[in-house]
Amino acid sequence: MSAALAALQTALLVALAPLFSGTIASLEARLQMRRGAPPWQRYADLARLFAKESILSTDASWLARVAPYLVLGASLAIATWTPVLLAGSAMSFAGDLVMTVALLALVRVLHGLAALEAGTTFGGMAASRHLALSALAEPALMLAVFTLAIGAHSTDLARISRAVALAPHGWLAPSHLLALASMWLVVLSENGRVPVDNPATHLELTMIHEGMVLDYSGRHLGLLEWAATVRQMVLFTLVANLFLPWGIALEPTRGALSAAFVAWVFKLFAFAIVVALGESLTAKLRLFRVPEFLGMAFLLALLALTSNSLLGG
Amino acid sequence: MPLAELDGALFAAAIWGLAAAALLPAILPASLRGALSAESRAAIARPLAITCALGLAAVGALGLAGFTPAPLRWWPGLPGDPFTLGVDALTAPFLLLLGVLAAFSLGVHSPGEGGAPATLALHVGFALALAAALAAQHALLFLLAWEGMTLLSAALVARDTRSARARRAAYVYLVISHLGAAAIGFGLMRLSAAAGSFAFPDLAVALGRLPAGESAALVSLMSAGFAVKLGLAPLHVWLPLAHPEAPAPVSALLSGAMVKAGLYGLLRFGWQMPGAPPAGWGVTLALLGLLTAMTGALYAVVESDAKRLLAFSTVKNVGVLALALGIAATLLQAGYVPLAGVALAACLYHAVGHGLAKGLAFLSVGEAAHAAGTRDLEKLGGLARRMPALSVSALMASLSLCGLPPLACFAGEWLLFQALIVGFAAGGGAMRLLAPLSGAGLALATALSAAALVKLYGIGFLGRPRSEGAARAARPKAAIAASLLALAAAGAAWGLASPLAIGALGLPITAVLGPGFEAGSLAGWGGFTLSVPPQAFASISPPAVAALIALFAGLALAWMALRGLRSGVRRAPSWACGVALDARMQYSALGFTKPLRLIFRTLLRPERELEVLEEGSPYFGRKYRYRSGVPSLVERLVFEPMVQAVFWVSTQARRLQAGSLHLYLAYLLVTLVALLFLAHP
Repeated sequence: MSAALAALQTALLVALAPLFSGTIASLEARLQMRRGAPPWQRYADLARLFAKESILSTDASWLARVAPYLVLGASLAIATWTPVLLAGSAMSFAGDLVMTVALLALVRVLHGLAALEAGTTFGGMAASRHLALSALAEPALMLAVFTLAIGAHSTDLARISRAVALAPHGWLAPSHLLALASMWLVVLSENGRVPVDNPATHLELTMIHEGMVLDYSGRHLGLLEWAATVRQMVLFTLVANLFLPWGIALEPTRGALSAAFVAWVFKLFAFAIVVALGESLTAKLRLFRVPEFLGMAFLLALLALTSNSLLGG
Repeated sequence: MPLAELDGALFAAAIWGLAAAALLPAILPASLRGALSAESRAAIARPLAITCALGLAAVGALGLAGFTPAPLRWWPGLPGDPFTLGVDALTAPFLLLLGVLAAFSLGVHSPGEGGAPATLALHVGFALALAAALAAQHALLFLLAWEGMTLLSAALVARDTRSARARRAAYVYLVISHLGAAAIGFGLMRLSAAAGSFAFPDLAVALGRLPAGESAALVSLMSAGFAVKLGLAPLHVWLPLAHPEAPAPVSALLSGAMVKAGLYGLLRFGWQMPGAPPAGWGVTLALLGLLTAMTGALYAVVESDAKRLLAFSTVKNVGVLALALGIAATLLQAGYVPLAGVALAACLYHAVGHGLAKGLAFLSVGEAAHAAGTRDLEKLGGLARRMPALSVSALMASLSLCGLPPLACFAGEWLLFQALIVGFAAGGGAMRLLAPLSGAGLALATALSAAALVKLYGIGFLGRPRSEGAARAARPKAAIAASLLALAAAGAAWGLASPLAIGALGLPITAVLGPGFEAGSLAGWGGFTLSVPPQAFASISPPAVAALIALFAGLALAWMALRGLRSGVRRAPSWACGVALDARMQYSALGFTKPLRLIFRTLLRPERELEVLEEGSPYFGRKYRYRSGVPSLVERLVFEPMVQAVFWVSTQARRLQAGSLHLYLAYLLVTLVALLFLAHP
C-alpha cells in the first residue's frame, strides 16, 4: 500500500511536471497580453524532441551521452521521497532534505560538465555562471534547511511536513515565514527563473540554464528538459508541503488523499500565478547584482534561525 | 589463535619487507655489486613494496575487526624501553588507508617520471616512515619516524632541484613542519621525563599526574604541532606549495595519507589522554577547521594548476576533518556522548573516504598531466576522448571530492550535518553559535569546491585540447588504467557501503570516546541505511539512491529502445556562430571561475597587471603583457610581516659587527668584565 502510494506520488510529480511548467508560461503570456502556447505545450515539445535524432559535437566524450540519463535518474530519485499527498513516504529511508540538496548538486555538477563538452564559448559561460551563483545559493539553502530541521527535530521530509501541519499555527511562526521567504528566493534561483535567469530567453549572452543545454538536441535534450521540469515541480512541491502543509493527508485514507490532491493542485496553481506575476513585473538582474539577491536569501535564513533561537520556534 | 599469530607475522613481514624494499634500490650490498643492475634492483623492490603495503592494509583491516598483532620490539641499545611497533584500534583505520594508498601509488610510480631508483627508495622509505609513525608505541621512535616522514617527503618534494619553485616549496615545508615537530617533541619529551619511560601507556599515566594547568598546556602545544601536519589555517601555506611539487604518486600519498597522520596525532595525544581534551580545545579546532575549509575551497576555485587545485581541495577537506573533530569534542564536553560519537564517526569515515578519493585524483590527474606534458589547466583539454579509461577514474575522483552522493565523501558530511542539527537542538552553549555557522560555512565550502572540481575535470579533460601536448597525449598503460579503475571502485564501494563502513569503524571510535556509543547502531536494515540516532531523526541509503538513479536511467533507456527510437547519435562539429571553431574560443580555466573571483574579490584580493609593450594603432596591433594571480592572503598578512621583522632585527644586529678590530676587542673586554662580576657576587 505505502509502496504503491510512493509510486503514485512519484508518477504524479513526473507526469504533471511539464504541465506545471507550461502553465507558468501560459499564464505569463496572458499577463503580458499575448495569446501564448497552451499549458500542455511542453508535452508536445517533449514528444517532438524524443522523435528527433540526437546530434553531438565531435569534441564530446562519453560523458555527454551518459549525463542526460544520470540527470534524469537523480531528478526522479528526489521525486520518490518528496511528500506530495501524504506526510509520509515508503521511500523516506532512502533520502532526506540533505540528500535532496546533495542530489541537486549532483545534477548541477553533471550539467556544468556536460556544458563544457562541445568546446564552445556559450557552454563554458553558462556553466561558469551557474556554478558561481549556486555556490552562493547553497549556504542560504542550508540555513533554511537548518531552521526547518530544528523546528521538526528531523531532516526527514515527511516528518517536517507532519510537524508543521500538526503544530497549531506552526506555519505562522516568524522563523518559519522568514525561512519560507529565503527558500522562495533560492528556489527561483535554482530553477533559473527571473530575476536570476530568464527561462524564455535565447539571447546567448544572458542565458544560464539554456546555455548549458545549448549543444544538446533530440532525445538527450528531451531528457534534460523533462528532468528540469521535474526538479522545478519537486522544489515547488517542497515549498508547498514543508512550509504550507495545508490539507496534506496525515493518514492514508481515500478521503484525506483526495483532499490532499485538491489542496496540492490549488497550491501549485497559486505558485504558478505568483511566479508568472513576478516574472512579468520584474526584470532580470544584471549578473553581478545576483549575489546581492542571494545574499538577501542568506540574510533571511539567518534571521529565521536567530528568531528561532530567540523565540523558541 | 592461529589468525592472531598470522596477523602478527604479516605485520612483521610487511614492516621488514618495506624496509628491505626501501634499502634495496638505494644501498648496494658489496656481495651483490655488479650482480644486479640498478634497474633490476628497482624491479625487484617495487613488487616487494607493493605486496608489503597490501600486507599493511590487511593488518589494518584485521585491526578494525579486533585483532591486535603481537607488537614488534627492537632494542637499539639506548637506555630505556625497546622500540615498539604495534597496531591498536586507533592505528588500524589509518594503517588501512596508508596500505591501500601506498600500494596504488607504488603501482603507478613510473620509473620514467621518477627517474632514478633513488626516487623509488625515497618513496618506499616515506611510506615506511609513515607506517612507523602510525604504529609507534614508543615516544622516541615516534619522533624519529615523524622526522623521517618529513625529511623523506621533503626530499621528494625537492626532487626537481633545478626548479626554484620546488626548492622554495621544500624549504617552506621543512621550516613549518619543524616548528610543528618541535612542539610535538617538546611535549613528548616532557612527558617522558615525567614518566621515566618512553612507552605510550606510561606517558598517559604521567600526564594524568601533572598539575592540571601544565597538562592542558602540554596537550594544547602538542595539538598545535599536529594541526601543522594536518594543514590547518593559518599554517596551511606549506601544503599547497609542497604537495604539487612531488611526483604525482607521492602527492597521492602526501595528500591522501600523510595529512591524516596529523589527525591521528590529534586523536592520540590531544584527545585519548587522561583529562584531555582540555576546555576550549574543541571550539578552537572547530573554528580553525571552518576557516581552513573555506580558505581551501576559495583558493581551489581560483587555481589554474591542476595539482595545486587538488592540494587546495585537500586543505578544504582537512578543514572539514578538524571541524568534525572539534564538534565531537565540544559535544562530548557538553555531555552528549552519542552525538559526539556521530561527529567522530563522520570524522574518521571522511578521513578514509577523502584519502581514497584524493589519492585517486592525484594519481589520475598526474597520469594525464604526465601524458600531456603539463599540469596547467590552460594547456590541457580534450583528454577524455583520448584516454577514456583514465577519464572515468578522474571523473569518479572529481565527483567524490565534490561530496556528491552516493560516493566516498558524502556520508561523512551528512553525519556531520546531522550532528550539527541535533547538537543545536539539544542546545549546548557553544553549539548554539557554532552549529549554524558551521552548517552554512560547510555548505559554502562544499559548493565552492564543487565549482573547483568541475573546473578541474571540465577544463582539463573535456572540450578541445588547448595545446599540442594535450592533443598528442598518449593513453597510459592498460595496467595503470586498470589499477586506477580498481581504486575508483574501492572509493565507490566505501561510499555505497557507508553504513557498513561506519559500523566497521566502531572499535577506533570506542577507543577514543569510551563506552556510551555504538557505531554499528547507525546502520539499519543490515547495512542498507544510515540513520541518526537509530530510527529517530533521519535516514539515508546510499545504495538505494544509486539503485534509484540506475533504475530511472535504465527505464529511460529501455523506453527509448522500446519505442524504436534511434539509439545512435550523429556526430557533427560544434557550431560556433559560423566562425571556424578554435580551441581558444572555449572558456579558459581563468575565465571559468572569474565570476567567483569577482564576487569574492574582497577576500581574495586578486592582482592583475597590464603592461603595454609596444604602441601601435589605437585600435589594434598593440602588444601587451598581462599577468594575473591570487597571492595568498595569509602569506601577505601573517608570514611576510614575520619575515620582515626577522630581517629588521638582523639588520639592527649587524651594527654590532662594524668590522673594526678595536670594537671587537672592546666587546671581549666587556664580556669578560661582566662574567667576572657574575662569578663574584
